[in-house]
Amino acid sequence: MCRNCETKPVIFLTNNKKGLCKSCFFRYFERKFSRTISQFKLIEPNEKIGVAISGGKDSLTLLYLLNKLKSKKRFRIEALLIDEGINGYRDNTIKDARKFCRNLKIKLNIVSYRKEFGYTLDALIKKLKMKPCSICGVFRRYLINKYSRKLKFDKIAMGHNLDDEVQSIMMNQFRNNQEVSARLGPITGIKSEKKFIRRIKPLYMLTEKEVMTYAYLRSFNLKFCECPYNTEAYRISVREFINNFESKYPGTKHSMINSFMETLPLLKMKYKNSSEIKYCRKCKEPSSKDVCQACEIRSKL
Amino acid sequence: MVKVFIEKENRKTSAKAKDIEELIRKLSINKEEVIIVKNNELTPRNEKLKDSDEVKFLSVVSGG
Repeated sequence: MCRNCETKPVIFLTNNKKGLCKSCFFRYFERKFSRTISQFKLIEPNEKIGVAISGGKDSLTLLYLLNKLKSKKRFRIEALLIDEGINGYRDNTIKDARKFCRNLKIKLNIVSYRKEFGYTLDALIKKLKMKPCSICGVFRRYLINKYSRKLKFDKIAMGHNLDDEVQSIMMNQFRNNQEVSARLGPITGIKSEKKFIRRIKPLYMLTEKEVMTYAYLRSFNLKFCECPYNTEAYRISVREFINNFESKYPGTKHSMINSFMETLPLLKMKYKNSSEIKYCRKCKEPSSKDVCQACEIRSKL
Repeated sequence: MVKVFIEKENRKTSAKAKDIEELIRKLSINKEEVIIVKNNELTPRNEKLKDSDEVKFLSVVSGG
């Protein structure tokens, strides 16, 4: 039974084993979302927040909740969608995103690979002998930052949830890549760095299962839709490993996030100098090298 | 037989199981990666099953 009101539960929260009914779960979820924003100072009053959306459950839940919260916390929102040009996949999720934004009266900005780089991802894969995720990850990050700045967003909100973060932490551990972990956390970037728009993750403390339950109960009517190029085999293995562990030892994911949050300030301090942002000499966008990865890929075309 | 739909595989099937736990075991589903909908109602804990029941396993994993 629901811990608060003795009605039928819709979810059991693994971290503290409590069952919640639909309305108590909504209250729990929305409070946790709002508390994450306040606790980590993700949004300041009067800011214009971009919301990176794909049309999937995480980003649409994020958009719905930020829209709900904007008057109370006094900020503005606009959505940003990157159209990579993946036939039979992205065209479907764009339709869902358009409908969602229209219903909520939120401005949707769509930026396409085709317009920006001259090719869709489908065409790029045929042209370049590279893994799809290696091209896509670089170009998406590049466009999200560039257009967040062009659209004058103070910050860009991403749909990353607790599971995504735990997977990244684990992958970096397994690969001895602590410098990359130093760039994780609920808010990234440096306030004084105007060319690099800070990224925020308001779903940081909510699990993938909680987000899916919320989207289902709110009737967002999402169909499972997998990217045909989803070849990130390493992440999939890590995800399965963590989920198996969570099944056996409930609470593991929350413990990992909490322990990571304790060490994150130390990691940030250690890698403070190496995370200094330079500018690409070709496109002038922020980069960790002389020429950014996006320009490197473009030079091969 | 219980009617089953596995969203991630877009697959309909049927199986014999006395409860949800047994069904999950038989279909090798990781319960961390799904939400379970029995007869159109979210079912977060183990429940008994009967022949006319319909169980959907909706994927919580992002599609990339």
